[in-house]
Amino acid sequence: MDLFFQTLLNGLLQSGIYALVASGLALAVGVVGIVNFAHGEFLMIGAFLAWGLSSYLGVDPLLSLPLAAVAVFAVGALTYRVSIRHVLLAPELNQMLLTFGLGILLQNLALMLLGGNTRTVTTSYQGSSLSLGELSVGGPKAVAFGLAVAILAGLYGVLYRTNLGRQMRAVAQNRRGSQLIGINVDRVYLIAFGVACALAAVAGVLVAVLLFASPTVGLVFALKAFAIIVMAGLGNLTGVLWASVVLGVSEALVQTYVPGGGGWSDAVFFLLIFATLVFRSFRGAR
Amino acid sequence: MKKMLLTGVLLALSGAGAVKVGVLLPLSGPSSVSGQAARNGYLLALDEINKAGGVLGKPLELEIADDGSAPAKAVPEFVKLVTVDKVDFMAGGVSSATSIAISGPAKQYNTFMAWIGAAAVPVEDAFADHKYFFHYHPWSYYNFEAILSYFKTLKTQRKAKNIAIAYEDGPFGSAGINDTIAAFKKAGFNVVMSEKFKTGSGNFGPIISKAKAAKPDIFYWVGYDTDALPLATEIKQQNLKVGLVYGTPPSWPVGFEKNPLSENMAGLSLWLPSSPQAESRKFVAAYRKKFGNVTEEYFAPLAYVNLKTLAAAINKAGSTDKDKVAAALAETNTPTPFGPLTFSRSNKTQYQGFKAGNWLHFQFQGDSRVPVYPIKFAQKPMVWNK
Repeated sequence: MDLFFQTLLNGLLQSGIYALVASGLALAVGVVGIVNFAHGEFLMIGAFLAWGLSSYLGVDPLLSLPLAAVAVFAVGALTYRVSIRHVLLAPELNQMLLTFGLGILLQNLALMLLGGNTRTVTTSYQGSSLSLGELSVGGPKAVAFGLAVAILAGLYGVLYRTNLGRQMRAVAQNRRGSQLIGINVDRVYLIAFGVACALAAVAGVLVAVLLFASPTVGLVFALKAFAIIVMAGLGNLTGVLWASVVLGVSEALVQTYVPGGGGWSDAVFFLLIFATLVFRSFRGAR
Repeated sequence: MKKMLLTGVLLALSGAGAVKVGVLLPLSGPSSVSGQAARNGYLLALDEINKAGGVLGKPLELEIADDGSAPAKAVPEFVKLVTVDKVDFMAGGVSSATSIAISGPAKQYNTFMAWIGAAAVPVEDAFADHKYFFHYHPWSYYNFEAILSYFKTLKTQRKAKNIAIAYEDGPFGSAGINDTIAAFKKAGFNVVMSEKFKTGSGNFGPIISKAKAAKPDIFYWVGYDTDALPLATEIKQQNLKVGLVYGTPPSWPVGFEKNPLSENMAGLSLWLPSSPQAESRKFVAAYRKKFGNVTEEYFAPLAYVNLKTLAAAINKAGSTDKDKVAAALAETNTPTPFGPLTFSRSNKTQYQGFKAGNWLHFQFQGDSRVPVYPIKFAQKPMVWNK
């Protein structure tokens, strides 16, 4: 019985990281209307920032969270200005090609500048955990989960309680109409895209603590984030947490209870995407 | 000085028609730590070879390509090196998956392969009938022979009985896993868990929970450097009580020894910078002079030995004729940082370099890798955590 509850707990904690990565992607899709295939690379920048600040300046990765968020917000905003804004009215395929190419560019830039080595950070709390009877709750993953809940709640609050949030929702619903009533659509897009990238960087900092920093670290999480936003419904922020929990717990259950399940865990998210799409189309047809 | 200058001028003048060696390495992706270490080993060897007069009176040239640790990238890179860059010989190779993928084109173009990595048996199967395949790294059954010998000692000395196995689901971890389990059982161990995982996923919570329930004496994992820290983190967080955590990644993450979570984790290496052999000391000094630091990854000296012996064989053969070079390389008998290198048959291939006797077992103790077995090489006693 302990194994079952520990498995649920493992899945729940893992879902925190997934939710953190997916929240930024959901924002970019929901507000800007662009599927950012370079989202994992912005996560990678956050991971390398945490590693660099920790290795060379001794800054604790948790303290580097705000710095990484601000820095990557700036990179995201610049990326929007230089490239994204020019394809907003282009066919979706062109948008995808642009962000996909951007991802490859960032990955290879990291490779050229930093090499392909796996870099790890060392903190005093990496192995920390809280015991609940026979169950244990890993410290950094619990922080990641708490942060994901806080960020999603914060985003929800911004979207539904602030003027900027109202503008974002208006722009997401009707770009032309928003322009007609005087909303600076370009500014709203820039902020939304920058915040989405900043959220990826926050996830990247935690990934550096939990796993490692490397030019390709973003890929694994970006794929899972795509699965989550598909499950949640494109642009649906409130659904991100639940979809992350479904993915995390499903993976954990498969890993623990299916023979050879560790090798199947990557198939779980494809299966969930498939099931979600079939369910949605079935419901839509009724 | 004059001799060196003259050699340099002659090499420069004879630059056209230089002997070209293609090097395919994982400079990015899951095997990149090994690939980066190997690249430094090749560059160091290249310097020494060309300073000593090159090969066949011409400078040796390297064409280094990144296979990205991915078969889909390795195949076009390999084909480009062989057909567009027209290299005379191919060297490198770390990942088993990429090596299997290029076995087809290697046979199609009858490429000369001086290969440093790719330990999985399917690679041996793939190159079994290839007459120009020289494999320097021990095959996985040699690795396992060394591991089993060590574990048998732990069984006698520490009463280790139960083994939990976690292995990555690619060819490196999965090929031969059934034979591994059977061999452990035959040696009198109980295999209380054997679980696959996706390398680089970092999601080890469920595996460690299962291991905890299985109460092993030894936790044995086969994966890559990207798995080391998340695994160590999860072991600590879930307080997995185990005598020894033993891993066999081809390389460990850079700076892993500085992380307290690495303490007492054990592994396998063909070489450590502290190895006392004269060739090892020479290599360490030369490496430090060129790069300003010392690596602990054995793929650096392995690549160094690989290129030096290949160059020596080309010089001995007096031409780049593949048959002549193969005959010369087959006769290699030279001291290396790992001990003497000679080639002999493996189970399926004709030219196998290092074997089980070359492996060292080390444990991370106080910021460094300390050899703990075989006893004659041990610098400190092994820490058993039960």
